[in-house]
Amino acid sequence: MKRISYVILIALLASGCNAKIKDSEAKIEVEAGTEATEENLNVDHKKGTNSENKGSVLGSWVGYFEEDGKDDDYSKDIFVDEGFHWNRANKINISIDKITDETVTGHSVVAGNHRPFSGKITDGVFILKEPGDDKYDGEFKFQIIDDELIGKWTAYKKINIQKRKYTLERKDFVYNPDILLEKSQRYVDWNKYKKRIESAEIEGEEFEDWVSKEFSSATDLIYTINASNTILQKKDVENLKKGDLTIIRNTIYARHGYSFKSRPLRVFFDAQSWYIPIHTDIKSEFTELEKENIKLLLRYEKNAKEYYDYFGRG
Amino acid sequence: MKSTISISLVLKVLIYSFLIYFIYLLALITAQYIPVKYDIAFLNIKQDEIQLTHYKLAFFSHVYSSIFIIVLGLTQFSKTIRTRFGLIHKISGKSYIALVLLLASPSGLVMAFYANGGLIPQISFSILAILWFLFTLKALLYIKARNFQKHRAFMIRSYALTLSAISLRLFKFGIVSIFELPPMDTYKIISVLSWTINLIIAELIIRKLHQQKTNE
Repeated sequence: MKRISYVILIALLASGCNAKIKDSEAKIEVEAGTEATEENLNVDHKKGTNSENKGSVLGSWVGYFEEDGKDDDYSKDIFVDEGFHWNRANKINISIDKITDETVTGHSVVAGNHRPFSGKITDGVFILKEPGDDKYDGEFKFQIIDDELIGKWTAYKKINIQKRKYTLERKDFVYNPDILLEKSQRYVDWNKYKKRIESAEIEGEEFEDWVSKEFSSATDLIYTINASNTILQKKDVENLKKGDLTIIRNTIYARHGYSFKSRPLRVFFDAQSWYIPIHTDIKSEFTELEKENIKLLLRYEKNAKEYYDYFGRG
Repeated sequence: MKSTISISLVLKVLIYSFLIYFIYLLALITAQYIPVKYDIAFLNIKQDEIQLTHYKLAFFSHVYSSIFIIVLGLTQFSKTIRTRFGLIHKISGKSYIALVLLLASPSGLVMAFYANGGLIPQISFSILAILWFLFTLKALLYIKARNFQKHRAFMIRSYALTLSAISLRLFKFGIVSIFELPPMDTYKIISVLSWTINLIIAELIIRKLHQQKTNE
């Protein structure tokens, strides 16, 4: 009997030593473009592109911005399905804003970067250059064939992925507060995804870290709770895990077409068919209801991160 | 004979170091609320309640008094202190009883009324607060009547409930690490386990002490 109680005591002591009272490093990342502050005016923004442009080349062209093989292997045409591994492709929105006789101007939004471009059309081939004052600037070269914008992109400077390719569809962005997450393939079999990610050697520790620590804690509630059209109460959020809270909050941003800098969030929202990256700054876009919900969600997220798996109680 | 003595000594050291370590953690938790802040730790999920003056009073009197109660109580079960330093036993015992009866258990009852997680935690924490008050009061009355045995039994029960501050958090840590339950589901479970298990252990200890007494 005594021996058993020793074992129990020692086990408890040992486990207790690992349990600090809280995670004092806990900080919820809020990207600068999404900070909901009181001062933000509710300006009625132009929501993406005008619908009158439908059918024309003007407006947003949306799709995946994929790595384009090796430098010496242009012809290699790899079809990477949207399934269970991330191929470093980000959703891009190439917005053609204006075409005059000589010049084409517009901008691209991808991975939290909003960059202008301008250039010419020669024999149906668009050649558009970014200004070049950013490390990740480069040149777009594409054609529009059968309602698809197909082309390549080459960086000016030596960067990790020098060449990209893309096949984009014309899409109009409309803010719809009622939209809910769909169970995209990327998400359904999450355990499988998680394993794959862990075994794959992807650079950038943030991705793997997030996947195993936060994403895996999301539950199906993320498909039913909408923080853009319902005022959330304490009772709606108090039983949610950190992953749920994070996704629910960031879905507000995604509805506004926010282009995520955070890689895991990007990978997750890129897979949503309705999601179009439109803005890198959506501070002034939130409705009052969304601002309230963001405040509430952030408070519970912080608490979950600080105390959920610590001795201290929150 | 000698070996049993050393075993019980080891056990004693283990129990005391276990308690001291977790009391130290509780002190760290308490320190978060100094100076008075309304947007830290537990209060982050009590934002509606902390606006209320009576909740504020209850919360801070509970937090600040409890840490002293748990330290004062720790000294009371030592035979050495009881016999050789009777004055210490009396002074810290009186302070313990006064703090529990006047501050910690009434404020605990107020907080129980507003407990997160609905009816189960509300009822469970209310029973905890009431039992804590009653056991401590009984312990006081029995020592006034010089009934040492009953006084000891009720002090053991009282301190078992005091220690629910530790067991609550340990159970939470355990449940979350093993089952990864959502926070409020966890809370409902620990609101009950946190003091019932302690009380069962207390009854076992009391029974054992009683047997020892009759054997002698």
